[in-house]
Parts: sequence; structure tokens; C-alpha cells
Amino acid sequence: MRALSLYRHLLRLYPAAHRDRFGEEMVSVFGEMRAEAARMGIGAQLGFYVRETAGLMMGALEEHRRAWGGGAIWLLFRTLFFSTLLFPTRRVTMHSEFRFPKTTAVLMTIILAGVVLAIKKGETISSSHVNPPIGPLPPTHSVLLGGIFLTLAFFYAAGLIGWAILFAMRRSGVHRLAETTSK
Amino acid sequence: MALYDMSPEIIMDSLPLTEPVLLILLSLAAQPRHGYSILKDVEQMSDGRVLLSTGTLYGALRRLLDEDWIERIEEQDSSRGRQAYRLTTRGRRNLQVEIRRMKQLTRLANLRIAGKQA
Repeated sequence: MRALSLYRHLLRLYPAAHRDRFGEEMVSVFGEMRAEAARMGIGAQLGFYVRETAGLMMGALEEHRRAWGGGAIWLLFRTLFFSTLLFPTRRVTMHSEFRFPKTTAVLMTIILAGVVLAIKKGETISSSHVNPPIGPLPPTHSVLLGGIFLTLAFFYAAGLIGWAILFAMRRSGVHRLAETTSK
Repeated sequence: MALYDMSPEIIMDSLPLTEPVLLILLSLAAQPRHGYSILKDVEQMSDGRVLLSTGTLYGALRRLLDEDWIERIEEQDSSRGRQAYRLTTRGRRNLQVEIRRMKQLTRLANLRIAGKQA
């Protein structure tokens, strides 16, 4: 039930139009797949969650790209936060040449896991926090702005680190090994 | 019939299809199916090699719906959020074009391989 609820929350990553159109179906199918994976053991469950997380995040990105028309805003977003290694500039169609590198899926899964853990940790801290005695109110605006800035800085740093890893891998020519074996 | 003999509207720029999309279309070629049934059929057809996530499946279904290759049909058990999909005439014709293209490619590959072995 908790996984279903979390999946339902994560669907908010999709544009509203896609969510309205397919949201309930996706939750229903996710529930059926999860029940089946649970019957097959822990390994199958782990593979299922990794696959679903990666699929959901990539699907959400693709739907946003499509919603933005793949134009200047998307280009700016991509340039700011990701490298061209992760998102090739070619138009995304059903052509076979469009493939996300496997490293992208791993990286996105790690980032998502970090976000979920941070949310859980935040909830734990807030629930254990005792109400402070009444006194002068803290400067909420500066705290809020500082928090937003820190969050953005964290994600930007995570993106840069990911980009640096992928760039180093690409420079080393590791990706060519995969190309050789798949052809 | 060669590919260039087909009507221009049939030759979509979505061809050639990726393996997952081809398997989804083949799954719907036999009968209408809902999402979970498509996932299981794709897994079975590919001997467990192609495992689609829910996000990937619905991304592909959205594109196929937008390009009018498939359509939604009402299912009796709609209380569980299920919707069934089936191929449209256009989708079936495009699938046949793709299969014909693959047959030509296979025939060519066989000829080339046989020629090299001889």
C-alpha cells in the first residue's frame, strides 16, 4: 500500500494532462506488477522497483519535453542541468537510435533514492521536534530562501558530479564497448 | 509490394519501430488488451528479454494513440482503472509495412550470409 501511495505521489512528476489521461491506469498496472514481483522473491522485487523508478523518471522527462515542444525552454533546462551525453539533441520518436544510456537510469535512481530518503528524514525530524516555547518569531523569510538556495545548490552539485562521471566514462571510451556488443 | 509503393500517409516517420513498440503492436494485433496484459504478453513474446516499466509502456501508448495507431475501448471492468487498447486500421497497416520491411531485410541478410559461406 505504501509503495502504491508513493507511486501515486511520484506520478506528479508527469505533466497534468498525461496524469489525467493515464494516471489511474498506471497506478492499477503498477499495483498488479508489484503484486506479481512480490510473489517472485526479493531479487525480482528489487529489479521491479529499479525498473519502475527509472521508467517513471524518464517517462516524466520525456512527457515534459514533449509538453514544452522540445523548444528553447527545454534546451535551456537541459543545458543548465544536464549534459548532452544524457539527452541527445535528436528528436525523440520511436526510432531505434533514441536510447538513454544505462548510466542515466542508475544515476537518476540514485538521485531519486536520495530525495526520498531526505523527505523521510525530514518527516522524522519534524515529527520528533518538540514545540518550542513561545518567544520572538524567527526570520522565516531568510530561512526559507536559504533552504531553497541550499536545495538548488545540492541538486546542481549532484548533476555536475553525475555529468563529470559520465563525461569521464565517455572520454575513456567505455560506451564503445557496449556499442560493439549490441551490434 | 515495396515500401515506396505504399501511400505516403502510411509511411510514418516513426518507422523503423523500436523493439518494445513493435512488440506492443504485435501484442495488440491478436486481440485488444489492457496495460498489464500488454506487459505480460511482451515479456512472454520476448522470452523475458524485454521487460517494460509502466512509465515506458504508457509513454509508448500515448504516442501510438496520438498518431492514431491504436485506440482505447471501453472495458467491462472499468472500476479498476483499466482501459483496453486495440489497433486501428492505420496501425495495422503500418505494422504490416514494418513487418514487410523486416522480411526484406532478413531476406537480404540471408542472401548475403549464404553468399559469403558459399
